[in-house]
Amino acid sequence: MARDKNSEDFIGPIRRLLVGVLVLALVGLFLVWRIDSPRVERMRAAAIDAVVPSFDWAMAPITGAANLISDFQSYQQLRAQNQDLRRELQQMKAWKEAALQLEQENAKLLDLNNVSIDPQLTVVTGVVITDSGSPFRQSVLVNVGARDGIVDGWPTMDAIGLVGRIAGVGQNSSRVMLLTDTSSRVPVTIQPSGQKAILAGDNSGNPPLEFLEDAALVRPGDRVVSSGDGGVFPADLLVGQVALGTDDRLRVRLAADYQRLEFLRVLRSQLHEIIPDPDNLLAPEAEFFGPAVIDPAALSTSELTDG
Amino acid sequence: MAERTDGKIWINRGVFVLLAYVLIVIDLLPLDMRPSLWAAPDLLLAVTLAWVARKPHFVPVLVIAAVMLMTDFLFMRPPGLWAALVVVLTEAIRRQNREFRNMPLWVEWATVTFGIVAITLANRLILAVVMAPQAPLTLTLVEMAGTIAIYPLVLVVAHFVFGVSRTAPGELGSKGQAL
Repeated sequence: MARDKNSEDFIGPIRRLLVGVLVLALVGLFLVWRIDSPRVERMRAAAIDAVVPSFDWAMAPITGAANLISDFQSYQQLRAQNQDLRRELQQMKAWKEAALQLEQENAKLLDLNNVSIDPQLTVVTGVVITDSGSPFRQSVLVNVGARDGIVDGWPTMDAIGLVGRIAGVGQNSSRVMLLTDTSSRVPVTIQPSGQKAILAGDNSGNPPLEFLEDAALVRPGDRVVSSGDGGVFPADLLVGQVALGTDDRLRVRLAADYQRLEFLRVLRSQLHEIIPDPDNLLAPEAEFFGPAVIDPAALSTSELTDG
Repeated sequence: MAERTDGKIWINRGVFVLLAYVLIVIDLLPLDMRPSLWAAPDLLLAVTLAWVARKPHFVPVLVIAAVMLMTDFLFMRPPGLWAALVVVLTEAIRRQNREFRNMPLWVEWATVTFGIVAITLANRLILAVVMAPQAPLTLTLVEMAGTIAIYPLVLVVAHFVFGVSRTAPGELGSKGQAL
């Protein structure tokens, strides 16, 4: 025992000093993160980039097993599910007929107007590698990164609706902050009434709508789409439906299937045109007040093109 | 009988790192991206504390710091703060290790409980002081309570599966020294 005490006295102070230095270094890293967050976040992205792809082979069997179990559970409800599906199929047939008619009508109208869907919105598709691993943060990691031209801030969708935005890009992976994250704020429009609001994530499944001007105009079931305000997202991406929460706040039931995010589409969002000097948008003030001289030739051509 | 128990010390350190790796991978599995209403206990913290309380020489402080810093990075926590707090707590427990050997279990559990509560509060306090964004309070409390509740279970698993238990009187190291 005495010998042991001696050796402890000999090693103790040096060890204590080294542990102190270690703790100081960690606290220093934290302070640097607080002061200069972007640099440390880049470091974080690089660290994740280096580590997480090596998890892939370990995760594949576990994810597969978990999916197998959930599939197996669903066998038990197979009969009930089957009947439900048949009933839905009946309804869907009617809808399909309506949809086909609408599609033809839409195609005709588009043809008439010569409209082309925005060609600048192309997509990069990525696969979800991991989730955030903590119950306090709602984000996923996808396997496309700077190598694929991903840029911070681009919107991300699954097949149907908006999922989140890119926050943090590594060489081979990037993090998607989901709409449910506490720091997610997205400007949205509520469809039939045209009301603008902010969709503010609060770590719950159905994020609430904030800064709504007139809640009386909004009813549960209304469509919520991104508004494109502030250049955050392109306009008219489907977000979800309005729902009334149990706490009497208007919330959004998200269209994207958060239960199983697997493939995500990252939209190549183009920057808005920035207007530095809005005054010059207006034409210089005319000096002549009164009816302008009508040019008959111009009139006839404009009539032709209108028709 | 005197046995040499620290001969496989490097293997045991490797086992701890492997266990930490598995726990991190399980946390990261992309199974369900919906926000959860409750937080699972912080198994990694419970395992680390159990290992330090029982066999401190299996978990060198550098390994703890590296694993915790990595989880800070992976789990989107403020990097460094939680790692520093856990290192401080494990050092405090490491110093008490000798006294734990002949004390009842509940004393050890109470000490660990006190430590977990202390670092959780310190974490929130420091984040509030530097005005960094915080996790919801209820989730943090649920996670803390879960970690405390699961600690004895972790001890049982550590004892029977990993052979990490209190050093018995008369146990000797590979060079015949007292542990």
